[in-house]
Amino acid sequence: MLLDYNAIFGDFSAIVPMLFLMAASLILPGVHLVGKRRTATWGFALAMVVVSMAFNAMMLYDGFVGTSLGMVTYNAYSGLMILLFQIVLFLAVLVSNASVETTRFNVGAYYALICAAATGMMFVAESSDLLMIFVGVELTSISSYALVSMKRNDARSAEAAVKYVIIGGMSTALTLYGISMLYGLAGTTNIAAIAETTRIGGVTFLFGVAMVSMIAGYGFKIAAVPFHMWAPDVYEGAATPVSLFLATGSKKMGLSVFFQIFLILFVSGTACAAIAGPEVQYLFAIIAAVTMTVGNIVAIAQSNIKRMLAYSSIAQAGYILIVMAVMSEYALSAGLFHMFTHVFMKGGAFLVVGALICAGVGEKISDYRGLGKRAPLMAAAMMLFLFSLAGIPPLAGFTSKFFLFSSTLGVGAAGDLAVNSQWVWLAFIAILNSAISLYYYARVVKAMYVDRGEAVEKIKVPKAFTFAIVICIVAVIVLGVYPQLLFDLCETAAHTLLL
Amino acid sequence: MDFPILSLLILIPLIGALITLMMGGTRQKMAKIVAGAFSAITLLLAILVVFSSNDFGALSESYTWIKTGFITISFSLAVDGLSVLMVFLTALLVLLVVIFSAEAEEVEGERPNYFHTLLLAMEVGLMGVYTASDYFLFYVMWEVTLIPMYFMISWYGGPRRHYAAIKFFIYTHVASLVMLIGIFAMGFKAAEITGGNIDFSFDAIAAAMQGANEGFQALVFALLFFGFAVKMPAVPFHTWLPDAHTEAPTGGSVLLAGVMLKMGSYGIIRICLEALPAGAQYWQWVIIIIGLVSIVYGAYACIAQKDLKKMVAFSSISHMGMVMLGIGCLSYAGITFAVFQMFAHGLITGILFMVCGMTGHKVGTREIPLLGGLAGKMPKYATFMMFGFMASLGLPGLIGFWGEFPIIYAFYEFIVANDMIWLLLFCMLSLMLTAGYYLWAMQRTLFGPETTKIDLTHAHDVSKSEFAAMAVLCVLVAFFGMWPDAALQFIEPYTQGLAAFIGVI
Repeated sequence: MLLDYNAIFGDFSAIVPMLFLMAASLILPGVHLVGKRRTATWGFALAMVVVSMAFNAMMLYDGFVGTSLGMVTYNAYSGLMILLFQIVLFLAVLVSNASVETTRFNVGAYYALICAAATGMMFVAESSDLLMIFVGVELTSISSYALVSMKRNDARSAEAAVKYVIIGGMSTALTLYGISMLYGLAGTTNIAAIAETTRIGGVTFLFGVAMVSMIAGYGFKIAAVPFHMWAPDVYEGAATPVSLFLATGSKKMGLSVFFQIFLILFVSGTACAAIAGPEVQYLFAIIAAVTMTVGNIVAIAQSNIKRMLAYSSIAQAGYILIVMAVMSEYALSAGLFHMFTHVFMKGGAFLVVGALICAGVGEKISDYRGLGKRAPLMAAAMMLFLFSLAGIPPLAGFTSKFFLFSSTLGVGAAGDLAVNSQWVWLAFIAILNSAISLYYYARVVKAMYVDRGEAVEKIKVPKAFTFAIVICIVAVIVLGVYPQLLFDLCETAAHTLLL
Repeated sequence: MDFPILSLLILIPLIGALITLMMGGTRQKMAKIVAGAFSAITLLLAILVVFSSNDFGALSESYTWIKTGFITISFSLAVDGLSVLMVFLTALLVLLVVIFSAEAEEVEGERPNYFHTLLLAMEVGLMGVYTASDYFLFYVMWEVTLIPMYFMISWYGGPRRHYAAIKFFIYTHVASLVMLIGIFAMGFKAAEITGGNIDFSFDAIAAAMQGANEGFQALVFALLFFGFAVKMPAVPFHTWLPDAHTEAPTGGSVLLAGVMLKMGSYGIIRICLEALPAGAQYWQWVIIIIGLVSIVYGAYACIAQKDLKKMVAFSSISHMGMVMLGIGCLSYAGITFAVFQMFAHGLITGILFMVCGMTGHKVGTREIPLLGGLAGKMPKYATFMMFGFMASLGLPGLIGFWGEFPIIYAFYEFIVANDMIWLLLFCMLSLMLTAGYYLWAMQRTLFGPETTKIDLTHAHDVSKSEFAAMAVLCVLVAFFGMWPDAALQFIEPYTQGLAAFIGVI
């Protein structure tokens, strides 16, 4: 043990990573009011994020397990998810000061909100109770509505925010409806207890309605088809650091909720898997297949790169939903690993877009013509990220897809694996989708490297962006070539969650 | 041998690729020299591998790469009688392409040094494919060859290069993804049979697959075979090839036809036959029919081509069909000479595509109807073309003869045993067509009165570097034509083992 967390933080030891961010979001407006310097506020926010990350890294390294307030538990799974949210937050905050899109923001409020949103995600990762999850999700959602609308005087931003609020509200209502029904049925909001009650009492019609309304409610959060309409507008309308945060962070929170609720209900030992497992699996398999297909096919038609990335992000959520169909420990490890690689490749792609906006390059794919000459590093980075998203080896996206897609063909725990042909069709659809996605990614690469642009002058991007992008490049290559670095953690986390 | 020679085969081109990439587009001369040096070192290593072939067993390396609760992936490399010639061919062709393109104008455009980067990057992938003995590594390397080729076509290619590049990229990528599903299925099946975790090494899977039933083997064989057949390419999955070849620069075409197509047939032998023998027997007739159709269709399509390079591209389809036919016989002779034909076609097609490339940039067009009487103006060029065409149509004494006729003999044995002797007609037909289109093309381009349809005043003969590259290939074509045993001695021990394993001699 590097530290004795219980001795230092007492009852709050399980929420140490959140403590710093909560503190940050409470005092950041004040800091900005007093200091009045954008860079100072940024530095303070970044420092808090780094401290929070450092503590979480230590706790993860120590294998810390603890419960706080009787509600939230820190273990290998939540630690890993918190690490993911922190990486997203770090990348988003790192570039926020340099981005031209945030110049009109009230930065005190901005950093406070983004930290609050991340705090909500982390609480979700630690919860095993429906209400706690609900509160965490709401904290994130409400902060993100404000984040999206921060680009004042921009009609697209306002439209995006309104859309986001209305759809978000609807999803909240649906979820709450499902939760209330479950509470009525089981008399508890603890997920494991609900599983136990249902196993004894059997599945009723109401249970099914509750499941469906919760899947729909949280389906909005991960932008699964048919609940995806908001995502492209929101990612296009929001400032790029916010788009990055939502596309890579908020979506992962939704997926984590899926894992924490439905995998516990339908996979683990006490679950009602035998009663309703196959139906739920098929439901998720269909959602996964439709989500990835729609995402990829619509992405082909996009001419705005942010919208294209948004649709590709929908497709990626579809890939990760494979976990929910297969429901095996191996699939979950692979899904967690893919969530991490997705942060770096999709986050990296958004960072490049943001950096280029700072340099005056538009958001249209046609604006990227000749970029290979004008900004060699940015173009090379974009190419790496896009090829990684398409699953070209030896990049991270390939390795994680290799694990994820391979999980569809087998079942069983480690040491007891067997071929299972049930989900072969899903593997085929996923792989076909990978091929489709290559088409629109390659179009951007072609625009950058093959087409000739009108402008020829070199592009300079802010240093913070370059730094963040280099981090992503390194991660995409290292995780691709040496996935073991992270995959072990994912396996432990998956094992912990499904125990 | 403690010296990690196989890793170096991959590492040295990789370093070379990075160095040429760093040179930033200005130092063209240096890039050429660096690329030449690195590919020469690789060739030396490859020759060293060839001459240490007495103990192939010792020539393998294995390092644990990824080991998790579910999966074991190792970075393992090995060379045996099947791969040693391909390794040599890859190293040779890359060096020759560097030499050949030293004065070529098509790569003197805006990004000359990236041309060499792409060549060396492709060599990394190719060496990896031919030496890998782990499915994960094999697949990674398989895909690594794609991206350099995509850029090579779309940067240095002809007028329709964008279309050709993207078609090539998507088409072969889809095929390899289908192959990937087959690999997953084998991994899980092997884990189920051995009761352990998924071990993606060739040996582990091949051993476990012995316990898989015919139905499973046939299914997985179909998935893998599709991936490989597209790469070869076999009719009806061939449509990407003529486009890619027509638009690719000469160097790209040489590597594409010379060694990249062989990845397909190599995969069929290495993976489909070694791991799934029952599947191979199940699909034997399908393989044979695809082979026959490719041979005849490729040859037939050649006659109709107006573009000299497109004609050679279709002839590649025909010749790779011959490889497929040899494999389909599932006999000792068939597989042995299929491997030999892979090697032979790699050497010959190098000459052919170099000749076609020269036609394009020396005369200004590759349209056969516009050409004529070039022999008078460009005697050396004409000699190389005749030599290449003769070798390709199977003139005894040159290497092409040993590639084709023994395969037809193996096929003859097979159909006699199956009482289907009339199938031999197709082989005869293809031989006639092959001789026909080559001779006819030669007659129209080289002989007769000098053409007046195009301006030949600037046409000049073969330059020194081009001469050197093609002369090396010609010498090898003649050498192995006279003494095929020099190559067969590597292949035979391997195919003996394989044939005994499949259970058909």
